[in-house]
Amino acid sequence: MDNFGFTEISILISAVLIFMSILFGIIRLVKGPETVDRVVAVDLLTIVTIALIALLAHLAERFIYLDVALVYGLLSFLGVLAVARYLEKGI
Amino acid sequence: MELPVLTLVTIVLCIGILVGGLLAVMLESHVAAIISAGLCSLFASVVYVALAAPDVAMTEASIGSGLSTMIFLYALRKTRSGEDS
Repeated sequence: MDNFGFTEISILISAVLIFMSILFGIIRLVKGPETVDRVVAVDLLTIVTIALIALLAHLAERFIYLDVALVYGLLSFLGVLAVARYLEKGI
Repeated sequence: MELPVLTLVTIVLCIGILVGGLLAVMLESHVAAIISAGLCSLFASVVYVALAAPDVAMTEASIGSGLSTMIFLYALRKTRSGEDS
């Protein structure tokens, strides 16, 4: 790898940003005093994870991985909705 | 692509799985423990994608992270029908 092109530099920057987001989300998940903070932290981690799966799909050049990200986007919504309905005593 | 992105992905996700499992064991609030178990399953799914098994990852995402959390919450609602932690 003599010359880094624009694609490699942008992939590296996005990977570093995704990892920083994951670390900050884990810190909020550990420190969060209330349950609501942990719910929001898990929602953040799910969205960052969707971006990470898309990055892995580009990195491995297999675009079947994007289906996993699609299923993820649907189910994270349902999971957070179920927790929210539980917290207001609904379900 | 000679970037060490895949090793970094695996290390960070394994740290996430460890933190999720420890929080699921050690937290006192039941809802937070259920959410932490779902997070552990979520990171395990991404590790499956990194290990080139997208069908296993899709099943883990749909059952482990989605359905399991909802069933745990439903059981918690059924068994502890009054107070909330």
